[in-house]
Order: sequence, then structure tokens, then C-alpha cells
Amino acid sequence: MESKRSKYMLVGLSFFCIVLIIITSVRDGFLEPLRTGVGYFLIPIQSGVNRVGTLIYNEITDYTRFKGAVDENKQLKAQIDELMMENSRLQAEQFELERLRDLYKLDQDYQQYEKIGARVIAKDSGDWFQVFRINKGSADGVRVDANVIAGSGLVGIVTDVGANYATVRSIIDDLSRVAGAAQQSGDSCMVAGDLMLFSEKRLRITNITKDGDVKNGDRIVTSHTSSKYLPGILIGYATDITTDDTRLTKSGYLVPAAEFNNLQEVLVILELKADQVQEAPVEQGVQE
Amino acid sequence: MRRIGLNILLMLLAFTIQNGVFPLLPFLAATPNLLLILTFSFGFIYGKEAGLWYGLLAGILLDLFYSGPFGFYTLLFINIGYFNGICTKYYYEDYITLPLILSLVNEVAYNCYIYVLRFLIRNRLDFLYYFREIILPEMIFTTVATLFLYRSFLFTNRRLEEMEKRRD
Repeated sequence: MESKRSKYMLVGLSFFCIVLIIITSVRDGFLEPLRTGVGYFLIPIQSGVNRVGTLIYNEITDYTRFKGAVDENKQLKAQIDELMMENSRLQAEQFELERLRDLYKLDQDYQQYEKIGARVIAKDSGDWFQVFRINKGSADGVRVDANVIAGSGLVGIVTDVGANYATVRSIIDDLSRVAGAAQQSGDSCMVAGDLMLFSEKRLRITNITKDGDVKNGDRIVTSHTSSKYLPGILIGYATDITTDDTRLTKSGYLVPAAEFNNLQEVLVILELKADQVQEAPVEQGVQE
Repeated sequence: MRRIGLNILLMLLAFTIQNGVFPLLPFLAATPNLLLILTFSFGFIYGKEAGLWYGLLAGILLDLFYSGPFGFYTLLFINIGYFNGICTKYYYEDYITLPLILSLVNEVAYNCYIYVLRFLIRNRLDFLYYFREIILPEMIFTTVATLFLYRSFLFTNRRLEEMEKRRD
């Protein structure tokens, strides 16, 4: 009797899951309230465990670092003398650089976006997916499709937001596709995460046109044509660009600018690409 | 009652450790899948129906963490809980071989499920690569972890049973 009941339950629940999978595949925001609700309860636990874990980890690394530090100290002292010499030479060059910079008026687009710092509190422990969770959510102004950067480069995009957390899919995930462009020539390409390249810490670059000017070592930035990524964010550097067998396109690899090992703090850009796209037609409408 | 509470607490702890602590350890090539171990152990020790419910909890936790289609992991984990529950009739205390075999089988099932539904359908055909780089390391770690975790479950389980009996 009991066995039959559990069999029905299994079949029922499995069926329910399949229906849920289908519904949520079609309409993603369907379970948002549930996720947020559980988030209120689960995020503090995750943050706490993560903090303890980070503390322990930092203690261990501090200790191992100390052992190496004594030897390093001797070497460094020798290096200081050398560097002092070099420093005075570089200072002279620094003034020259500043003068030239003013001349070229190098504007750093990057800094105009409003950003918010966030801490990585959980990561996928398996190796199949490269997603992580941060401790800022809709209450802090983070929205779905917000771009996430760390250090100098693009890290990923927000795929899911609760009140006090957000889930980020990094650009090294197998599902990730970013429309990019070579900064120098402006020629477009597609930057794709690939699990098979993950261990080499590289991504794949595809869809460069045959005549496209993308060379090894070129800076690849997010493209103006991308629907989700803000333009001009550094993704990484191109390497090993070769012409495909079809002779129509070129492809190669990309070394990401952001460091993905041991990611602890990231910056979320609050402005969305969708905002920029929407603003433009509104202005036109006013003019008309 | 107390046992169920403890088990649920263990699941929550396993989930947070799996996502909050393991990724911080860069020297681990792969990490044991704690939720999988808990689900199949509970199914194996307490039977089909209990396995189903614990699987439901583990699946929902994972589904809430990932932002893909909701129910993907729940579907897998309730089935793992249930089918390991069937083996409960071969359950003897201190008999570790069967749980170890079960852990291997479950790991293969879990990873193939993800591979087929998330990678193969996107035309990623090189199964051997994924098997060597991802599935095999995780299998080894999980099986070793099972060796320790399963023993400690049995131990605490027995202690709690004794305590409950004494109270009756």
C-alpha cells in the first residue's frame, strides 16, 4: 500500500516538475516572488558560511605566504636599489606621457557608468556551469542584464535578481555569447565561452569576416551592436587568429582581461544597454 | 521528528558549503557533490518515500540557485531519492560496499543528465572530453566523500535512535 502511494507521488511530482520546466522555459519571471522569498531566508546563511570560509582561506594563505616572505624580503631589498634608479628615469617619462595624453585627449568612457560594488557569496561547485551569486539585488538597483566587471575587464551578466541577491553568468560559461569588436579597427566578432577551453583559461572568438582586421594581441571590447552589453568594455585580448576552412570567416581565441580564479569582489554597472536603446526613440518623438 | 529536523539542517548546510566554501579552495580539482550524497543516503537508509521528500528539498535548493528552467534539478533529485530508496531492502548497517556502488551510479546518472540536457542538445558532442575533465574527477571526490559521510550518518542515526528509544 505504502509502496503504491509513493509510486504515485513520484510520478505526480515528476510530471509537475516537467510542467514547471516547460512553463519557466517559456516565461522566465514566473517564479520570481518565490526565489526572492527564499532568498530572504537563504542569503544570510550563504553570506555567513561564505564569510567564515573566506576567513579560514585567508588565514591559510597568509601563513603560507609568510613562509615565503623571508626569502622574498632579501631579494626585494636588492631589487629596491635597482628600482630607485629606474624610478627617477620613469618619472621624467611620466611628465612626457601626461603632456601627450592631454594632447590626444584620451577619454575613458568606462568611468562614466554608475557602478556598485558587490561581494561574491556563492559559486557553482560543480564544473559544468560558471555562475555565481552576489550579495546585491534589486533593492540596490541591480537589474537583469546588468553588466558585471572586475578589475579591468568584463566578467559576466546578471541573469536573475532577487531583493538581496543576484545571479551572474560569467563570460567563461559555456552558454555565454558576447558581441565584441576589435578596439583598433572596430571590426566585429563573437566571443563565446567554451567549457572545453575553460582549463586553458581562454574563450573562443568566432564570426570575424574574412577581411576583418583582428590581429593577435588586439584588445577586444564589447560591441555597439550588442543588445545586452554596454559598448566599450574590455573583454580581453585576441590570440591565435586563423582563417577558417571555409575561407569566409576567421576565428581564434581570447584571453580574458578579468581574473576568474578566486573572484571575490565585482562591480555591477547599474545602467542597462536597454535603457540607452529606449532613450533614443523617446527623444525623437519629442522632436516630432 | 528530531531526526528529520537534523537531516533538513544537514541539507541546508551541505548546500551552503557546496556553493560558499568549496569554490574558495582552488587546490581542489573537483568537489564532492554533497547534496547528491545526502539525497541518496537518506533514500537508502529511510526508504523510497523519505528519499523522494529529501530529493525534493535538495532539488528545490539547487533550482533556486540556478536561474535556468525551474524544476530541472528537482526532477532529477526526486528520482534519485526514490530509486535509491528501492535498494533500502538490502540495507544493513556497516555494509559500505553497496552505498559506494550507488554513489558511483548516481554520479554517472547526475552528470549524464546534465550533459545530455544542457550540452548535447547544443551540439557539444565530445562526450569523452567532458567525461575525462569533469565527470571522472567529480565521481572520485564524491565516492571518497561518501565513504566518510555515510559512516557518520549511520553513527548519528544510531545515536538518535537510541535517544528516542530511551525517551519512550
